[in-house]
Order: sequence, then structure tokens, then C-alpha cells
Amino acid sequence: MMSVTARSGLLAQYLSASSQVVATQLRPTVCLAAPLSSKITLAPRKENLTTESLKQLVPKCGNVRVSSGPHGPMQVRYAHTDIQYPDFSDYRRQPVSDPKTSSEPSSVSRRAFTYAMVGASGVVGAYAAKNIVQELLSTMSASADVLALAKVEVDLKTIAEGKSICVKWRGKPLFVRHRTGDEIETEKGVDVESLRHKEHDDERVKRPEWLILIGVCTHLGCVPIAHAGEYGGYFCPCHGSHYDTSGRIRKGPAPENLEVPEYTFSDDTTVVVG
Amino acid sequence: MAALRNGVSHCRTFLRVYPNVTTPKANMSAFAKLSSGKKMILSSLGALTAAGVGLVAALEMSVRADEEHTLHSPKYPWSHSGTFAAFDHRSIRRGFQVYKQVCAACHSMDYLAFRNLVDVCYSEKEARVLAEDVQIEDGPDDEGNMFMRPGKLSDYFPKPYPNEEAARAANNGAYPPDLSYIALARHGSENYIFSILTGYCDPPAGIELREGLAYNPYFPGGSIGMAQQLYDGGVEYDDGTYASRSQMAKDVSVFLRWAAEPEHDQRKRMGLKALMVLGLLISVSYYLKRHKWSVLKSRKLAYVPRRR
Amino acid sequence: MFLRTVYNTIFRRSSAFALSILVGAVFFERAFDQGGTALFESMNKGKLWKDIKDDFEKNDNGGGDDDE
Repeated sequence: MMSVTARSGLLAQYLSASSQVVATQLRPTVCLAAPLSSKITLAPRKENLTTESLKQLVPKCGNVRVSSGPHGPMQVRYAHTDIQYPDFSDYRRQPVSDPKTSSEPSSVSRRAFTYAMVGASGVVGAYAAKNIVQELLSTMSASADVLALAKVEVDLKTIAEGKSICVKWRGKPLFVRHRTGDEIETEKGVDVESLRHKEHDDERVKRPEWLILIGVCTHLGCVPIAHAGEYGGYFCPCHGSHYDTSGRIRKGPAPENLEVPEYTFSDDTTVVVG
Repeated sequence: MAALRNGVSHCRTFLRVYPNVTTPKANMSAFAKLSSGKKMILSSLGALTAAGVGLVAALEMSVRADEEHTLHSPKYPWSHSGTFAAFDHRSIRRGFQVYKQVCAACHSMDYLAFRNLVDVCYSEKEARVLAEDVQIEDGPDDEGNMFMRPGKLSDYFPKPYPNEEAARAANNGAYPPDLSYIALARHGSENYIFSILTGYCDPPAGIELREGLAYNPYFPGGSIGMAQQLYDGGVEYDDGTYASRSQMAKDVSVFLRWAAEPEHDQRKRMGLKALMVLGLLISVSYYLKRHKWSVLKSRKLAYVPRRR
Repeated sequence: MFLRTVYNTIFRRSSAFALSILVGAVFFERAFDQGGTALFESMNKGKLWKDIKDDFEKNDNGGGDDDE
């Protein structure tokens, strides 16, 4: 977790190198301009006492600090121990808090922990995002008062055998017909192949005695009349479509059978449509 | 390339940790550097500012004598007033009975349907029975006439008056407001409703009431068109609770609060979950932030000039 | 070592990591929703409809059966 940015001027002031240099015959450190000359001479460039320049004074043999010569002491000292830098132990994990120990044995557990945290943020973030999207989308769905009107309950006790009633459901007429045994038998015996829209009676009813249809003619949308027509089922007065007692088109211009809505029997005497 | 390697080798010199050398560590906090006296001054200054702001706020809120003869309702300890506290649904049920037997004679609740009671304070079966007691006008039938039928779950509560004019005519010119959202429409919410219902008293000396008005110190202006409606034992609760005046006022206040805010329980449950999820996300993202920033935060900077 | 197994099976490949996050989210959602609801209901025990409905539905069922 350590990195180095080289050449940062900001920290240069802290990198003060102190030196105590005494010139020897080997190499003069400072050359002064000769004052005897009548010519105007510019002062020579002052040498910067940086770590770099000082380092070049040192024999290349490692961390030498003090040396002495015949003409007096010569000392070049790096003062790196003066540099103050922040305490990084807060950013080190327990297994690597000591910089002198190897980080290798604990690397898998440290990485696994970080990946686990990334994974946890992914899981929780996915949950939060899913719920936000779901809530936003649910504002587009039908409101509770619309849903409350979308279903209609029909009490079947009041409909005698052979009778049919018409109730309003989502603005359309809904036919509920209590079929007689004869009608059920006739419709079950019809050859499906002879029909325009081939559906067997069993596909159109859940309980054979109860026929539930949307009362809209599939031709041009008139409301058919119950117990009428050549087949005893429904007859559309607009253009003369004849439906049988299973609501199937048998004669006339209508292309398809009367539509059967979604419905369930909540108990023996009640049907819920919608 | 060689220069680069050179730079790297220099860096090593700076970064090497010598054994048995303790490195001085700088303190980065500005506050910690201050002397203890300065710390004390700064801290007490902050505390004084906070106290002053609090005092000004308290003085600002304490007296609101905006209208003469008007008391502001105290805050009562409702069982649903906690951050995560749901409504007391028994109280909602009793409150509905109070509304039905007392308030509904004059006040409508146009936006509440019988289906709203289901699984809140009545079962579906009970709510159906409640709805069937009411005759609703429906139609037109095959002959184009309107007809009456027993109510269904999807029907709204019946109105006591067909329109506002009829309501005013029957109530001395005062219009009994619709109670659907009354708890949100009045300053003080359910506290105000409770105070109004229990606050009737004789007018103080010097106040003359017009004919047909009652005195209630919690009503703005003091004279209210509605006479006292709740008397001990005025309602029969189906759970056997004794219907004292304050009991009925409390129950109907809770019921009206629920009617104005039917999503209340759901909202608080969602709030609980949201706080839990956000707490998790905050702690995880704090860790990830430290992880991502640790490289930048634990740099040592070293100055390495180009070799001449 | 447990951590090494987890690291090698789940974290090493991004595809496995992403997949395990998705699977984890499904289970987390179930557990968290149920846990949060249970916490809310235990905080409000005795006040919610689900706590009190038995008192009323018993009477209601008896009455309903008599009618039919």
C-alpha cells in the first residue's frame, strides 16, 4: 500500500539536508571568485546543497556517515531521520501492521475480505435497486379502486335451470347461463370438424351446467339475444349470426365464437368473473 | 529507461525502513495541535452557540397566541406516534364504530370504501355484511331507471346529505366537513380532533354565543357549529370496551388518522427496511472508500531531481 | 483453508463473482424482507390486524355459518 511520487516540490522543504563540509585538497566544495581581477566577473553559480549534490561527495560504499581525513574532520550526513511523515498504521491491516514481516501469507485472506465487502455491496445494492425499480413500475399498474371494480361476483342460486342472466362487467354485457342436461348433451356431441371456429364444448366451460360468455358478437360488436336463433343459443339481431348453447358460431357472418372470460367458482353458488 | 531505473533506486533509499530507527510521526489534525486553553475556548464557544440557537428556537415556538380565545391542542402520547410504531388496529375498529354510529349522521367520508376496511379492522366477511346493510343507488337498468341495491365491497361510504347545500340547510348554515382527510387538513392532526371532541365547556364570562353555536376553546374563534356529540356510553363497542367520552374521542381520532393515511403502517415498515439497507450500504461503502483511498492516503513523497 | 477455497471458487473469476452476487441477492431479498417484516411486527405486537383478527373472526365464522 505504499507508493512514491518522485519529484514533488511540496515536500522539498522537509527534505532539509544538513551538511558540515570542510574543504580538503581532494576536492574544493566552494570556489570563490578572485577579487584581484579588475574585470567585472559574475559570481559563479552557487552550488545547491541538495541531497543529490551532497551524495556525489560521498564515496559509493553504502551508508557512510562520518569520515575523517588528515586535514580535519569531514562529515556528510543525510538527515532523513528528521523527516516527519504521517502515521500510516491506521491504513494497515492487522496482519501487515509490522512493515518488517512478509505480507505474503495473509494476502489471500486480506483480498478475500475486500472481495467479500465488494460482493456485499453488490448484493445489497441489487436489492435496493430492484425495490426502487419495482416501486416505480408499480405506480403504473391499476389502482386499487379500479381493481375493485374489475371483478364481478354472480350469485348462481338465483338462476334457475334453462335460464340465463346478463350482468354488466367492465362496461360489457356478461351472459351467465344455466344449461339443461339436453343442451349439454347436444353440445358435447357436436362434431368439432364441422364448425367454423373449431372448439370443443369442454374447452369453453369449467362446469358443464354453467356457460359464461362476454355478450359481444364477434362480427361487429352487437349484443346477441339469448334463447334465440336456429340453434337455441344466441342470435345477433344486427346481421343474423346464430350461436349455439355453447356460444359457438354456427351460421351467419361472425368469424369466431363468443369470448369466454376468465372466471373462477369461489364456492358452489358463486362465480367470480375477472 | 536507465533514468527511470535510477529514479526508482533513489526512491528505495528514501523508503527503506532502517531497523532500530524510530521515525517521528506528524500529527495531521489541526485541532489537536492547539493548546489546551485554546481548545477550551473553542469548545465552550461552540456549546454557547448551540445553546443560544436552542433558546431562540424555544422562545420562537413557545407562544403562538395568533387568535384570541383559541387553545392549541396538547400533544398526546398516541400509540402510533413512534418512528416505527404502527396503528392500534383495535382502536381503528372501535373508531369506525364511533364514526358509523355518531359522526356519519352529518359527516361524509367520500374517499373511503368498504373494501378499505378489509384486513385493517374488519375481515372480508364482516366488511361484506357492513356493506350489505347500506342501500346504494345503481343503474341505469335495462329500462333506463336507477335502482337501489345492497352495497358491495367496492362501494364508498354512504353520504348523509346529497350535496353541500342540503348539508348547510340541515345544520344551521354550517357545513360539516368531509372527514376522509380531516386529520391531515387540520393543524395538530389527531391531537386537534381529540381536543375538539373532549373540549366542550361553558363559555367564559363575557362571551356571548349566537343561537345554535357551542363553545369550544380548541376551535378557532371559540364558537363551533357542532354541539357536543360524545357522551359516556353513547356508543356500543363490539369488543366490550366501555365507551367513555375520552375513549370514543381517542378511537375516532385514531380512525380518522388512519383514514387520512391508510398507508401509514406500510410506510413505517418500508422506512424500517430502508434504514436497515442504507445502514448496510453506508458501512460497506465506508470500507470500500477507505480501501480505494488507502493508496493515496498512505503515500510518502520524495524529491528526486534529474541526475546531472 | 476456508478462505482460500472461497477465494479460488468465487472471487477469482469475474463471471463466478457476478453470478454469486446475483444468487446472493435473491436469497438476501427473501431473508431481509421476512426479517424486516418480522422485526416490524414484533415491535408492534398486539396492535396489528394479524394479531387481533382471531378475536373477531371466531365470532364472525359462527355468525356466518348460522346464516347459511
